[in-house]
Amino acid sequence: MDPLLFDAIAAIAKILFVWAVVLAALLPNLVLLERRGAALIQDRPGPNRVGPFGLFQALADVVKMFMKEDMVPIYADRLLYNLAPLIMMIPALTTFAVIPFGSQIPLTIGGVTHTIPLIIADVNVGILYVFALTSLGVYGIVLAGWSSNDKFSLMGGIRSSAQIISYELAMGIAATGVFLAAGSLRLPAVVEYQQTHLWNCIPQLLGCIIFVVSAFAETNRLPFDLAEAEAELVAGFHTEYSAFKFGMFFMGEYANLVAASALIVTLYFGGWSLPGLALTGLWGGIASIGIFAVKTFCFIWLFIWVRWTLPRFRYDQLMALGWKAFLPLSLLNLLWTGWLVLAGGGKF
Amino acid sequence: MNGELLVFAAASAVAIVSALAMLFQKTPVKSVLSLVVTFFALAVLSVLLAAPFVAALQVIVYAGAILVLFLFVIMLLNLTQEAAERETRVVHRFLSAVSVLALGGILVGVTWRSGAPPVPVSASLNAIPATGVDGEIPMLGRLLFTDYLLPFEALSVLLLLAVVGALLLSKRRFE
Repeated sequence: MDPLLFDAIAAIAKILFVWAVVLAALLPNLVLLERRGAALIQDRPGPNRVGPFGLFQALADVVKMFMKEDMVPIYADRLLYNLAPLIMMIPALTTFAVIPFGSQIPLTIGGVTHTIPLIIADVNVGILYVFALTSLGVYGIVLAGWSSNDKFSLMGGIRSSAQIISYELAMGIAATGVFLAAGSLRLPAVVEYQQTHLWNCIPQLLGCIIFVVSAFAETNRLPFDLAEAEAELVAGFHTEYSAFKFGMFFMGEYANLVAASALIVTLYFGGWSLPGLALTGLWGGIASIGIFAVKTFCFIWLFIWVRWTLPRFRYDQLMALGWKAFLPLSLLNLLWTGWLVLAGGGKF
Repeated sequence: MNGELLVFAAASAVAIVSALAMLFQKTPVKSVLSLVVTFFALAVLSVLLAAPFVAALQVIVYAGAILVLFLFVIMLLNLTQEAAERETRVVHRFLSAVSVLALGGILVGVTWRSGAPPVPVSASLNAIPATGVDGEIPMLGRLLFTDYLLPFEALSVLLLLAVVGALLLSKRRFE
């Protein structure tokens, strides 16, 4: 087979695989997981009526979203109002393109062995690509807030824009430590580095904590969901949204959650690798996907756990934490990592 | 017609149309959004020129941070359509026409002199995704800290001065 054609088919197959897992299998069931998890933490049964253990609740929720009346406020800016949910969803889904979700799979066709690396696009600015896309996701929230033409929504949008700038800076500088250590911006290189060295979360514990906490702010999850803040802003930026467009915001939040968890695992927790395991061959490749999935799931659960445990921050507390604590601390982490790299001659 | 020409044509068309939309849009928020689209199209052009690093920075810094800040300010002041319709004077129009012509002349002149691009676009395009080697970033870093050290540091001092100046001005007004 023509190698170019083979690469194209492999790329399309990988895209379909990742999106099928994230969109069809993960997102609806994460909503159920969140609701059952909340119930567990709050010591109540939660939704357990639809199907065994409430497993079909996700299906019922999706049907409900579709069947509800789709209302658009008269004074809303229709174009942007309709575009906003999409803008929130698309960056989260395209982030997966540069995240390596496994080692590689050898495939023999007609006597020729092709090695398929389990990453959709190995671009040489990997981490920057992720930051570029996630920084665009905020437009979905800001535009939803503005185009609804409603005071509560606008407040949510304004808060979100200020919040994202404050936290993106600290997050970016924390991640700089990772690629300083790995010597490359490519995410596969970061995983390779962690196979031969300690996982980044150990030497760069400070950077890891900053990155994880900033990820909460970046994905608009409690304790940083100031853009939504149902106790003060009704529902914040999506107050005026109903039916399927509201559902898109809902799904977008979970898509962001999965992307953030996968990124944390890749940057700080060894990606698809486990120490002492050589994941080669067909079964090694499949096992590496499993390891990556389990690790990512741990962080998804962390996000859910924190949401139902911690109260919401006040807006000024959020800004103070971002600028006065995280920014200097992330610079300190960068200095520390630079010192480690220098002291170990690049190897520690 | 080959693929890269197609992408170039599409990205350029989007950049020009959205830049015009930015100028002629009545609502400030939509102007900012058109500018976001322009920057995105410019980032695509950078990728075509085998400079994905520049493309990523373009999106992160301009589309992702500076324009979000613009949007924040516009939304905070809640500028509406009426507020944006300022009175236009003949002098203003004349001055802007002159500066547009001057800038256009400089751009055309520079492009005319520089001639053909040093690297054929097709060769550079093939070199981007497949190799996955990050050659340009260490090179850029090395250049910044050797040949261009003085301009680099001077720029950072300039930015610092701007930050301190902005702080001073805003503090003086409120106290």
